[in-house]
Amino acid sequence: MTTQRAEAAAAPAIDIRFGQVGLIQVLVWTTDPGAILDELTGRVATAPKFFQRTAVSLDIGPLGREPSVEEMHGVLEAVRRAGMCPVGLSSGAAAAQALSQPLDLPLLPPFREFHPPAEALGRGARHVEPVAAEPEPAGAVAQVHAHPVRSGQRLYARGRDLVVTAMVGAGAEVIADGCVHVYGALRGRAVAGARGDAAARVFCQEFHAELVSIAGVFRVFETLPPELAGKPVQAWLDGDALRFERLGA
Amino acid sequence: MTEIIVVTSGKGGVGKTTTSASMACGLARRGKRVAVIDFDIGLRNLDLIMGCERRVVYDFVNVINGDCTLKQALIRDKRLETLHVLAASQTRDKDALTEEGVRRVLDELTAEQFDYIICDSPAGIEKGAHLAMYFADRAVVVVNPEVSSVRDSDRILGLLASKTHRSANGNGGVKEHLLLTRYNPRRVANGEMMSVGDVKEILGLDVIGVIPESPDVLAASNAGVPVILNEESDAAAAYGDAVARLLGEECPLRFLEEPKRGFFARMFGG
Repeated sequence: MTTQRAEAAAAPAIDIRFGQVGLIQVLVWTTDPGAILDELTGRVATAPKFFQRTAVSLDIGPLGREPSVEEMHGVLEAVRRAGMCPVGLSSGAAAAQALSQPLDLPLLPPFREFHPPAEALGRGARHVEPVAAEPEPAGAVAQVHAHPVRSGQRLYARGRDLVVTAMVGAGAEVIADGCVHVYGALRGRAVAGARGDAAARVFCQEFHAELVSIAGVFRVFETLPPELAGKPVQAWLDGDALRFERLGA
Repeated sequence: MTEIIVVTSGKGGVGKTTTSASMACGLARRGKRVAVIDFDIGLRNLDLIMGCERRVVYDFVNVINGDCTLKQALIRDKRLETLHVLAASQTRDKDALTEEGVRRVLDELTAEQFDYIICDSPAGIEKGAHLAMYFADRAVVVVNPEVSSVRDSDRILGLLASKTHRSANGNGGVKEHLLLTRYNPRRVANGEMMSVGDVKEILGLDVIGVIPESPDVLAASNAGVPVILNEESDAAAAYGDAVARLLGEECPLRFLEEPKRGFFARMFGG
């Protein structure tokens, strides 16, 4: 016993220090778990490594009211399902105080408070384009995907081209801020120039697309023009008109 | 007066979507204004069965999220002009549906004076199925004549009686109907399949239709033409009868007996 105690004194079991760690804040604008999950999974998909198992603190200040404990359970569940780990409540809002106990989440004091006005984050307009937080490196190499893109899957190449070296199934979506290249059959939807680059194009080896969109101008293919069906095709924007042409014809 | 009808079953693969498509067509063919909604978010199929898969631009989730108007998302059928389809979203999951959102879409369809709104439920008893049945006035429970399907239908009937808007508000509950599909009289006669009587007795409900097992159903699905539109098919006639009964007409059940085989067929098989 004595020896152990002596050792413990030499090497303490814990140290308590004051330190700062970086923590991502999730500003909560709505308690609708579906909407939160939708938006988070969209953002997480653009940088999966960065957000996976990341500790986050929830800031309920933007809600402007005190949410119920049940609502907050829904919010927490949505955030967890998106792959993040909520570790606390930002204590800026008065409501956070009351929720800390029932939710069993500690209050984290704000270091430097940051509450941008709603307009600045594009609220008001329902569909929010991903905010261009940091400029994309110019001339980034294309994102390459070597597996079939199945129905219901959605691929997004942010700030670059997307190259798919397999087929894209009906009901799948391949989206890029740059061009979309499909070395295989394109049966789903292809969206190029997702952030408005009118010079973006769509290329595919075998054209069966349901929808092609470039910089927001889209065309639905209810029936495929026979000269394009199953052929290698490229699509581009000529003024306001989408043009399609057989490649190598 | 708009009536909301959910087509549900609990079990998958029993013919909910086939039934939704054919009932919707049958009602529209009688001049009713019909909207048929696919609640199977993430596994959308109704557009394929209705043959409008290449005309889907916006879907149910887009309308709920306010990305587009309901008018933009409703796809008008090319064969029947009073028939409209609202497709499910393929790239989301069932959490994209909210009670509030579903209520808004159904209210808007009601305001547009649709006579019938058919809600094609996903399999299971989770959120999608729950929301598909929640606002229903009537339910068509699709069941195959086999034990597991019957048990799952029993479970769904329990939910219809307790977990719907009507049951919660004491509005007399949801009116329930049974619809048997994949009915094979020969196998029933051989004792390999449950009979209409067995199913009726176990579930304690009246039958609104019995659809005979028919190769026409698969052919119709693959062609994107709801089977009810196939004039020559027994399955189509049976769906036609079911629609008539839904509208309160009385007609006897057909196709419960094996068709009599002719002398040559008996002699030479086939």
